[in-house]
Amino acid sequence: MNGSDFAFLLPEIVLVATAITVWAVDFFTPRDRKPDLAWPAAAGALVAMAFLAISWGEHREMFLGTLRLDNFSLFFRFLFLTVAFFVIVGSPGYVRRKLRNAGEFYGLILMSTVGAMGIVSSREFLTAYISLELVAFGFYVLVSHARHEARSNEAGAKYLILGAFSSGLLLFGISLIFGATGSTGYAAIAAALETTPDFGMVWTLGVALVLAGLGFKVAAFPFHSWAPDVYEGAPLPITAFLSVGSKAAGFAFLIRLFAEGLFPVLDDWRVAIGVVAVLTMTFGNLVAIQQANLKRLLAYSSIAQAGYILVGVATLNADTTSGMLLHIAGYTATNLGAFLVVIYFHNLTGKEGIDDLRGLYRRSFLLTLVLAVSLLSLAGMPLFAGFMTKFYLFTAAAASQLWWLIALAVANSILSVYYYLLVLRQAFITPESEEEEQRPAFRLPSHARATLSLLMVLVLWIGIYPSVFVDAAEAGSRALFGG
Amino acid sequence: MIEHPWLIPLAPLLAFAINGLLGPRYLKKATGVIGSAGILAAFLLTVWLWAEGEYGEATLFEWLASGSLAINIGFLVDELTVVMLLVVTGVSFLVHVYSIGYMAHDGSFARFFAWLPLFVFSMVMLVMANNFLSLFVFWELVGVCSYLLIGFWHDRESANNAAMKAFLVNRVGDFGFAIAIFMIFWNFRTLEYGAVFAQVGQADPETVLVIALLLFVGAMGKSAQFPLHIWLPDAMEGPTPVSALIHAATMVTAGVYMVARMAPIFEVHTTALLVVGGVGAFTALFAATIAVVQTDIKRVLAYSTVSQLGLMFLALGAGVYTAAIFHLATHAFFKALLFLGSGSVIHAMHDEQEMTRYGGLRRKLKWTYGTFLVGGLALSAIFPLAGFWSKDEILAGAFMRGASLDGDGLFIVFWALGLAASLLTAFYTFRMVIMTFHGDPRDAELHERAHESPAVMVAPLALLAVLAMGAGAVLGFPPEHGLIHDFLHHAPGILHFELTGNQTIIAISLAVISTAVALLGALGAYMIYSRGAPRAESIGQFVPGMHSLLYRKYHIDEIVNYGIVATTKVLGFILWAIDAKIVDGIANLIGWTVRALGGAARQVQTGQVQNYVFLMALGAVVSVGALMIFR
Repeated sequence: MNGSDFAFLLPEIVLVATAITVWAVDFFTPRDRKPDLAWPAAAGALVAMAFLAISWGEHREMFLGTLRLDNFSLFFRFLFLTVAFFVIVGSPGYVRRKLRNAGEFYGLILMSTVGAMGIVSSREFLTAYISLELVAFGFYVLVSHARHEARSNEAGAKYLILGAFSSGLLLFGISLIFGATGSTGYAAIAAALETTPDFGMVWTLGVALVLAGLGFKVAAFPFHSWAPDVYEGAPLPITAFLSVGSKAAGFAFLIRLFAEGLFPVLDDWRVAIGVVAVLTMTFGNLVAIQQANLKRLLAYSSIAQAGYILVGVATLNADTTSGMLLHIAGYTATNLGAFLVVIYFHNLTGKEGIDDLRGLYRRSFLLTLVLAVSLLSLAGMPLFAGFMTKFYLFTAAAASQLWWLIALAVANSILSVYYYLLVLRQAFITPESEEEEQRPAFRLPSHARATLSLLMVLVLWIGIYPSVFVDAAEAGSRALFGG
Repeated sequence: MIEHPWLIPLAPLLAFAINGLLGPRYLKKATGVIGSAGILAAFLLTVWLWAEGEYGEATLFEWLASGSLAINIGFLVDELTVVMLLVVTGVSFLVHVYSIGYMAHDGSFARFFAWLPLFVFSMVMLVMANNFLSLFVFWELVGVCSYLLIGFWHDRESANNAAMKAFLVNRVGDFGFAIAIFMIFWNFRTLEYGAVFAQVGQADPETVLVIALLLFVGAMGKSAQFPLHIWLPDAMEGPTPVSALIHAATMVTAGVYMVARMAPIFEVHTTALLVVGGVGAFTALFAATIAVVQTDIKRVLAYSTVSQLGLMFLALGAGVYTAAIFHLATHAFFKALLFLGSGSVIHAMHDEQEMTRYGGLRRKLKWTYGTFLVGGLALSAIFPLAGFWSKDEILAGAFMRGASLDGDGLFIVFWALGLAASLLTAFYTFRMVIMTFHGDPRDAELHERAHESPAVMVAPLALLAVLAMGAGAVLGFPPEHGLIHDFLHHAPGILHFELTGNQTIIAISLAVISTAVALLGALGAYMIYSRGAPRAESIGQFVPGMHSLLYRKYHIDEIVNYGIVATTKVLGFILWAIDAKIVDGIANLIGWTVRALGGAARQVQTGQVQNYVFLMALGAVVSVGALMIFR
């Protein structure tokens, strides 16, 4: 560790500086201009992204080996910055309608992003845990940020209590693992497992509790109950952030933990994780069919999506890790697209029911198009990201020979198309009443049109010609598995 | 031409892009011409390709070039591809031209002519694929297009439901297909046809059998084989030209093509062929029995398609691939003819599809009647029309497969099923012709207003009638050594079985038998339906309940609806209720208990959070407990 190493943390430093600046400027900004603080915040995320370039190809241990900057962390750091950028750019309209203290809102998003970037670089339990809490603390405030809405407050309280509970499980698990192996560092744990293959009950309980704690973060069954309520109650941009950023951070934690620490004992856990994966996706898909509210539908759909990614964890190797990174990237672009449509639709109408989408086709072609692309991608239709990334992931997972897992995952993916089509039917096909036909067409701000189009292009790009993304994902995977 | 095979799909794709982007606002009626021109261009390019006679594979671009998964997007052009392309683009072109007339008064004319070329594009790409991934992608895209076109009249609830049903049933088939692809990749580390076929010989036969059966599940979905046939009869909710396209050229032929293309995989294990042949033979007879009692003209044709596809699979199972592809081609001609003809009748009768209200139309719709009759004769496999040659070959192939030394005796049974299906085919075809065109008008008012369709609709009918009349003899004479046989003989993967015995005599007697059976069926229909009102029930009287069972299509739809769809919905509802309601319920119960015990009338805190924590803790305890026990 020397002074020049800090250059590699410049993205994080820039984000923290931007957050503090935004908070400071917020004091001097008149109330009606506060939502526009989004632009400096988003610019900060872009600058941070530019500084990431320094880290390309570098593999560097820092702070006594607690942090490791490699292509794996680079992949996710880039992803989180992208998410933060899109969420912030998508927010101003919503913030203007619903939220006060806009500066605080944007700053907290940036701070949570810093936390997520810390998780993916951590090679040690406590560093990862503290980064995870940094993410969570930001979200505890952000979820309840619509201070005058009962639903938002309720969601915030729930998220806080359940989050604290899951942190308790996670910490307890970490302490048991520490007790068994004498270390919280992944590499040291792996080394201890090489010499002592079985630490007995304490060890098993420790790993199970860590999995339960992380299961909460990625909203896996049966630790998912918070997700629909919190997704529904939280301000929409925060829901979008939760459903992609927070989920991706949880998976990055899981992947690095298993790849670098628990890999020697992974075989003991494959079936258990596989069962959780199947339950998660099946539950998410079955319940999604029942939903009439678009946010809740997307909440259950994102539970199902977490199940697909867990297939990769259950069959962890270099190829499935590439697959997971690829799928997370595609899912992020896709879900952001879907949520941005919901956000803009909500800004314009104040509604979020599936029925309310009637006539969307006539009122805004772009919104309908992006919604269609996003939902078809979530449904895993060819030509869209969701097909390509799931195909890659499941193909890689087939090497594990866990055919029941692959078969159930494919079945889920193929039949989920039903409820996504029901939404598209409302948007495209179901006729409006005569009264509704009088409603004017939507006028979207130009930045909204730009971000929506950008995400749609991304989804199609990954779906049709994914080489660049596959290369990036495989570079990230190699950082963990070598080769 | 072989250096640029991508030009063939490009033409319909361009037509789609132009019509889709500019159609609704600027081009309007011109979209019909542009769409037809795009398909015609694809057809002419295919003819050029055929005339040059040079085949091979061409790589378009590297789709994925990294690490474990390397896939090139390319085209495979061989004899089988060329036959499929000629049929698909040729018939589609005629359907496009016909649609200009049929859809002339539709408000969404431009939208129709955007989706139609896209459908053809997907199908063209499907038959030109050189790897399983492209095949699957366009297989799905064909499904999406069918969804869009079946549900084209989306203000009709029934059309929406039919579209959704078609899509979902196809997805069930795709499930098998997708698993098969994962297994292929895992076993052979490649997804290119050639490389896979080269390896199947050395692979474990049981594994290849599983792959073949899973692929066949995919084919069953697309080609409407029992029990995944239920979507096809409903698919007629789309505009009639779409039905013609789905039933004749695109979509349903994809499954037959796929099995023929994958012949090297199916032939590794004879059980795979037996299953294909058995499902095909059963479906052929099963669907024919249903067609006998339907009164909706399009529904009769729909079940007839299911039945004829069954015959094609019987051929595939028997190993006479050429006969299957031959029948695919002739069937495309006469089924397109019959569907377009029925469209002409429906057009004339102001959208009435019930044959019970038709009758005596032969004097009013001369051209339609003449061409429809030709199509009917071809479908009934009456000598010397197209259907005779191809169907005869299928039945002969099945019989000889059963009788030959290296064959399987069960194929004799399948042959008998196929023969019974032929009898019923001739019966329901002539029942349809007689109820529609002969006798006295049953609805005088409708009959009064009926009129022949415009030339743009009649011309494709006439052309198809010529094909339905002559294609069989031109392509398939002499049997086993006709044009199509010699042509397909060179295609890789097309094998021929060694037969025993005096083939000529067997072949001729089989041809005589099937012709006699067809004539018998036609005669039966004439006896029952030609004089006076139809007496469908009169046959039913022999076996009580039979007519109703057939008319209700063996209640398969009800079984699927209540058995599977409803169960899924109920399960989803229960899970949702548990998630949202029962947790509350438990809270209320606890609250109620507390209140009852304490006797104090205080407000009860029933926030759900405690219960979520409870659920999570329970989840952790159960999973840890399970791990402790099972490890």
